Formats: sequence, structure tokens, C-alpha cells
Amino acid sequence: MIKLGHGNLRIPKFEKPVYMVAAGQTDFRKKYPEKTTEELCVEAFSMAALENDLKVSLSELKRMINFCVYSQFADHFGDQLLGASKIHDALGFDPLGNIEVKTGGATGGHSVLAGALAVASGYANCVPVVGWERMDEVPTRQGNAYIASAACKNFESELGWMYTAYYALMAQRYQYEHKVPRETLAKIAVKNHGYAVSSPFSQNPMRITVEDVLENNLVSDPLSFLECCVMSTGAAVLILADEETAYTITDQPIRLTAICSGTHTLRTADRRPMEVLRLPHEPEDLYKNYQHDWPGFSSFLAARMAAYLAYHMAGIKNPVEDLDILETHDAFTISDIQTYEDIGLRPYGRGREFIDSGEGYYGGKLPANLSGGLIGSMHAVGATGIFQINEIFWQLQQKWAKFHADPKMWERYGKTKPADFENLQVKNARRGAAISHAGTGSHVTMAILEKV
Amino acid sequence: MSIELTHPGCELLSGQPMVIKNVKNYFHIHTYGGLSPFFVGLREGRLLGTRCGNASCEEQRIFLPPRTHCPDCLSPSVWVEAPTVGEIYTHTEILYPGAGFKLTTPCPLISVSLEGVCTKMMSYLKEGQPRIGMKIKAVFNTEHPTHTILDLAWVPA
Ligand SMILES: [Zn+2]
Repeated sequence: MIKLGHGNLRIPKFEKPVYMVAAGQTDFRKKYPEKTTEELCVEAFSMAALENDLKVSLSELKRMINFCVYSQFADHFGDQLLGASKIHDALGFDPLGNIEVKTGGATGGHSVLAGALAVASGYANCVPVVGWERMDEVPTRQGNAYIASAACKNFESELGWMYTAYYALMAQRYQYEHKVPRETLAKIAVKNHGYAVSSPFSQNPMRITVEDVLENNLVSDPLSFLECCVMSTGAAVLILADEETAYTITDQPIRLTAICSGTHTLRTADRRPMEVLRLPHEPEDLYKNYQHDWPGFSSFLAARMAAYLAYHMAGIKNPVEDLDILETHDAFTISDIQTYEDIGLRPYGRGREFIDSGEGYYGGKLPANLSGGLIGSMHAVGATGIFQINEIFWQLQQKWAKFHADPKMWERYGKTKPADFENLQVKNARRGAAISHAGTGSHVTMAILEKV
Repeated sequence: MSIELTHPGCELLSGQPMVIKNVKNYFHIHTYGGLSPFFVGLREGRLLGTRCGNASCEEQRIFLPPRTHCPDCLSPSVWVEAPTVGEIYTHTEILYPGAGFKLTTPCPLISVSLEGVCTKMMSYLKEGQPRIGMKIKAVFNTEHPTHTILDLAWVPA
């Protein structure tokens, strides 16, 4: 059993405060043959540099940068090793130092973590984090097999070559333990496909009903196609800076108050039961009578660990009260419910209440995945964790409408702004969080951003 | 003058943007290394797990999937026979697998709970309809082994 020592639970700290100054991204598509991966990254960086009301020109910004972080999940997909070198060259950053980060689905989150570490330590004072995935070179079935190469090749991959099946195992166990109705899971798919309708970046916008989800074909019982994330091609970029540099670049920097990482075994099978790690707002006796294995197949220790560290680091006493907006890694409806509990929006076993109460919707206490999430908008894996933070960043800057409501944004991607477009800017949003998640919970980061 | 190549070249899928098909056909050589006794065991109809070789380690339960070293104290493991009768911890039915899937669909995928084993390995049910708590026993592909984890399956006990 995992026993956490004092050193293991030491709360991370930044030596210097870290700020985010700009965000940029492409739209996300199932297939994007019109552009090379380098073009997509240049497009995302250019949006970050030119469309965020910065006080410096693109060339001035480039001359301020001293280190770069690259985020790509799988060389398999792009069929190009050292792809980061081509992106670095395309962006004209040679001979600056760079690193490429790889932690599966959580690569985006961990890349932002790497960028933050560089700024927080004083190693660098301006760092772009550039993420992408080109998932359109292979048919979907082959893409799923590639993703399943991120399961254990000795004991798991052959059993399905399909991550949905591994999540379905968790879904069945979760439903057995906590009796979450299929309708609640379906509501998450309805919500996120629905929010995607108001995003020009999204790949899979849909106005659907709970019945549509329940009647949809199953990929792996009980998960239907509408409850699974999309496979996308596209790129996302964000720029981090220390305080002095941030205010030179923009009048509206957003502070990254925490970004913390947790992990757990790649194989769900290997997760031995342990004592629940309690979050700051959870009373000591909350899980005294908890009857199930923890984390078992119903919870993610990696997400709990990331949230534990991030809440302590950012001074979050109660996430639902203290946060105004949230982006979760909704790869599957089931993992979203699990995550609500891991990050303490509800105690274990009661995650459904976050949806059933309406709290997780626009207008609720903590709207989640207004971007459309991975189910509705995009999952170009290396870009995903960056895209989520970008969407939070624009919300906190009160600039969501600039990037989503302007008909020109839609035209840029060959789309027409829909008649049923909704303004999803959260009024007075001050603090937001984003979860980046890999495997069946092998790596998770939680980032917390705050308006200055 | 035009260059002449003997290679047939790539299939052209689109002219503008130009899209080509790049065909791959290759294999990997994969070793089971120190985990080999497990896969040799399957061929012989035996289910082998590992236990920490350090008698003072707090974790004395069996690991299955096996591990060459104990994750808690990093002592080398010892091989032991794991129980071949247990129950279904959770299950699903795979309807749309990824490329390379060698079983037939729908395929009942299960996680197996075994007495004295601290892990819940993934496997599949060869016969019957799975439900949580169902008693099952191990069966092996000893006749024409695939030398993969597919050589182990379970049937109702
Ligand atoms: Zn040991």
C-alpha cells in the first residue's frame, strides 16, 4: 500500500510569481490536410502574439523569450521524431534552449508546469509553451490503437487496443458502487457538446438530448460514442512570464498561482487500496464509513494528489466556493464524474450532484467546460492542456467574447456563427482551474489561475 | 530530363493540398525479460504471480500482473502460484476495438479479483455473461499459444 510521508506531501512553491500573458490556438478538426503541423503552431503562436492586446510587437516579444517548452503526446501520430525541432525552427526560436514534455494525455498540463518551473526559478523570464497533435494521418481505429500503446503492452494493450474499454471497466465499477444513473453521465455529454456550439474552435458541436446519448451506439458498454472525446488535429500556445516581464508585455496578466502534478500506476489493475488523501475542506471523519476501496477503479489518486497540492499552494479552502470557472479533462463522461470527486467538488460517491444540482453549468456556481471540453471541442492531445488554460485565461481577462463571439473568428475557420450562439463569458470570474489528465489516471495536473 | 526510379512511389490521395499515402510494414522484437516465467506459465496452464522476496516488507500479497521487483522496497520478487479461481471485480463489453485487436467482438472484458492478490488484473471472459461478483476460473490457451496475455481467459466457475 502507498504510504505518503511528510516529504511526499510537501506543498510546492514558486520562488518567483508566474504570470500568463497571452493565449493562441487554431481551430480543431478531425482532418486538417490544408496545413502542416508547423503551420498550425505558427498560427497559434501568432494569435498569442498579435491578438491579445499586448504592448509589444511580435518581434519584440520574440526577442524577450529565453526558453521554450514543447508539448506533443505521441511521435507515432505525427510520424516525425524530434518534431519539436521543426516547430522551434518554424517559430524562429533557434538557438534558444528548449525541452519537449511527454506525459500522455496530461502532456499539455505538464508542459505548462515545465514552463512555470523555468519562470518561477528565475531560469527564464519569458517562456512560450507550444502544444499540438496531428491525429489525422491514420484511420480512427489505428489512432485508437496508437493511444492504447499508452496502456501496458505486456498485460493490457492486446485486450481491446482501445482506451474506451479501459474507462468502461471503471464506469461499470463506479456505477456498481455509487449507483450513478446513466442519465447523469449522458447529461455531461449533452452539456459539453452543447457548449461547443458557441466555440469557433470546436470540432464536434451538437445540440443533443439525454435520450440521444442513451440511444447512441455503444463503443464499450456503458460508454456510447457521444460520451467519448474527439480525436483532433490542431495547436495551442500560451506564454508565461515573470512579474516584470509580464507587465512589460501586457496590462492584464493573469497569475498562475499553482500548477501541481500527481501520478498513479499506468495499469488501473495495480492500484492497491489506501487511506483517502483528504483535501483542505474535507472533515477528518468524512470517509470514516466509506465502504469501497480507495482509489479502486472509481477514483483517481493522481487527480487527488494534484488537487491536494494545488489547493494548498493556491490557498483554495473550498473549490466550489473559491473557484469561478473550471475546465476538466472530460475524455469520457465517467472520468468527469470521477474527477469532480477527486478535486473535491463533492465527496466520493456523490459526484453526480455537481451536475444534477446545475452547479457545473453556465450560470451555476462553478461552470465546467464552457469551452466544450474534449467531448465537444477538441482533443489534439499535446494541445489539450494548453487549450483548456487558454480558455480560462480569456475568461479571467473578460475577453471570451472577443475570441468566440466575433463573426470574423468563425469566418476565419470557414464557419458561420450559429444562430443559437450563447455568450458564455462568466461575469466577474476571478479564479479558474484546469485539469490535464493522462492514461486511466497515470498523470494529472491541476492549474489554478487568478486575476491580479 | 526526368529522374527515373524503380520504386513504385507513394499513392497520391489529393493534388492540392498534396496528400500522399505513406505505407508502413514493419515489426518490433519484444522481450518479456524477467517477466518471462509468467508467459511461459500460461503455455503450461499455470498462473504465476510474484511476491516480495523481502520477508520484512509490509507488502506480502501477490502481484498479478507480476513484477520483477517489489514497488515498495525494490527487493527482487519470487514467483508463486496465484489462485485460479476468483471473481469479477468489474467488466465491460468491447464493441468497437482499436486496430490490431485479435479477439472477436462483442468481447467481455473483465478485471479479476483473486484472494491474496493485491491487484486486479485485466483479462476477458471466454464464456458466459459477466456480472460483478461472478465466480470465475482461469483457462489457458496451451494448444496453439499466441505468447501474449490473450493466452489467459476466464470462464464461469
Ligand atoms: Zn517489498
